[in-house]
Amino acid sequence: MAGQSDPHISLFSAEEVEFMAEDELIEIVPNLRMDPLNFICGDFGPFLPQIATQVPFWLAVALKKRGKCAIRPPQWMSVENLTQVLERERESQGAFQVLPFHYVEISRLLFDHARDDIPDMYMVRSLIEDIRDVRIHKVETSLEKFSGTSAVKIPNLSAMEVNIIRPFVGRALQAFYKHDNPEKIPDVDRPSSAQTRVANNEPRRPLRR
Amino acid sequence: MANYYNIDDILAEEEFVPVVFHKAANGVVIDPSSETNSVEQGAKVELPLWLAQELYLRQAISISVPACFSQRTRLEIQADAACVDLKSRSPYFYEFGCKIAPLVGDKTIEILLLSAFKIRYKEILTKAYTAVFTTTSKFLTLLTKEETNLYEAAQASMAAFKKWRMGGPRLQRASVLGRKRKPLD
Repeated sequence: MAGQSDPHISLFSAEEVEFMAEDELIEIVPNLRMDPLNFICGDFGPFLPQIATQVPFWLAVALKKRGKCAIRPPQWMSVENLTQVLERERESQGAFQVLPFHYVEISRLLFDHARDDIPDMYMVRSLIEDIRDVRIHKVETSLEKFSGTSAVKIPNLSAMEVNIIRPFVGRALQAFYKHDNPEKIPDVDRPSSAQTRVANNEPRRPLRR
Repeated sequence: MANYYNIDDILAEEEFVPVVFHKAANGVVIDPSSETNSVEQGAKVELPLWLAQELYLRQAISISVPACFSQRTRLEIQADAACVDLKSRSPYFYEFGCKIAPLVGDKTIEILLLSAFKIRYKEILTKAYTAVFTTTSKFLTLLTKEETNLYEAAQASMAAFKKWRMGGPRLQRASVLGRKRKPLD
C-alpha cells in the first residue's frame, strides 16, 4: 500500500491518514427512516429515528452534513477521561497512554463537522490539543535516546504521530544501520522500516462480514 | 556504485582524493602541474574518487586518506561534533567516508563517522522539530548533504501536519470547473 503523495517526503500525507481514519466506526442517532445499507466493508442500519446505530465515520459525516443525524462523540472524548489522560501523560515520561489509533484525525473531523454534538466542545478541544502537544514532545525526547540501534519500539503511538516522524526516523535509522555495519550497506531506499514495525502493533482489523 | 541513478551518489564520487602513481602514464592530462601530457611514476595527484577507484583496482595507484578525515578534523569531532563545519570539508562527508574507508584500509574512519553522526543526529532532531527557522539557518550551513536531507524530511512532515491541522478548504475546486465552454462553430 502506498500513498499518492510525494513518496520522498512521507509515505502518507496528513490528508491520506485522515481518509483512513474515516473507516473507524462511530455511533450516530439518525432522524430519518432508511433501509440498511450494504457496503463491501459491512452492512449498516437500518436507520430509524432516535435509534442509535454504528456507521463508518465518512457516512456519519455525510449524514450530518445533510442534517440527517446527530453524532455521539466516542466514550474517550469526555472531559473527565481526557483530563486523566493528560495528567498521566505528563506524569510518565517514557510511556504513552492508550488512545484510539486515530484520535487526532477523529477529533479534528468531529470538531469540523459536529460541533453541536460535543458537550464542552472548547474544553475538549483544548485538552486534546494539549495531549497531542505533550505526546509529540515526548516522541522527540524518546527519539533522542536511541543511537546505533536498528529497530525502535514505541508502543501506543497514534497514526498521525507515526506519520509525522516517519520520514525522519526512517532516514536516521538507515544512516545508523549503514555506519554500524559498513559491509552490509543496503542498496535500496527503505524509508519506512522502523515505522511499519511500530504500526504493526495495532491489531489488524479484518473486513467485516 | 551502489545506486547508479542516485545523483547524491554520483556527486559523492566526484570528491577528490590524494593518490600516488605507481606507474607512469602517457597521454593523459591528469596532473595539471606537469608540463608534458604524462604522469610520472611516484607523482602525487588529486583524482576524483570514481577515477581513483578504477585505477586502484588496476593497481596503478595507491590512495591516501583525504584531508577531510585528517587528524585535525578527528580531534575537532571528538571535541564537539555538533559544531564542526562538515559541509566545507566535504558536502558528502558520510557517503564519501563509507566509500573511501575500504580503499585506504582504515577502520577508524567508520568509527569516526558513526560517533559523529550519533552526536549530530541529536542536534538535528531537536533543531528540526522545535526550533524556528530563523534560529537554525546558521546551523544549517554546517550540515552535510545527508544531514540536510534528514533535517528537511523532518521539517516537511511537521509543516504538512501543521498545515492539515490549521485546516483551510477541504475540497479544492477542479481547474476544469467554472471554465466557460467554447462555443461550437
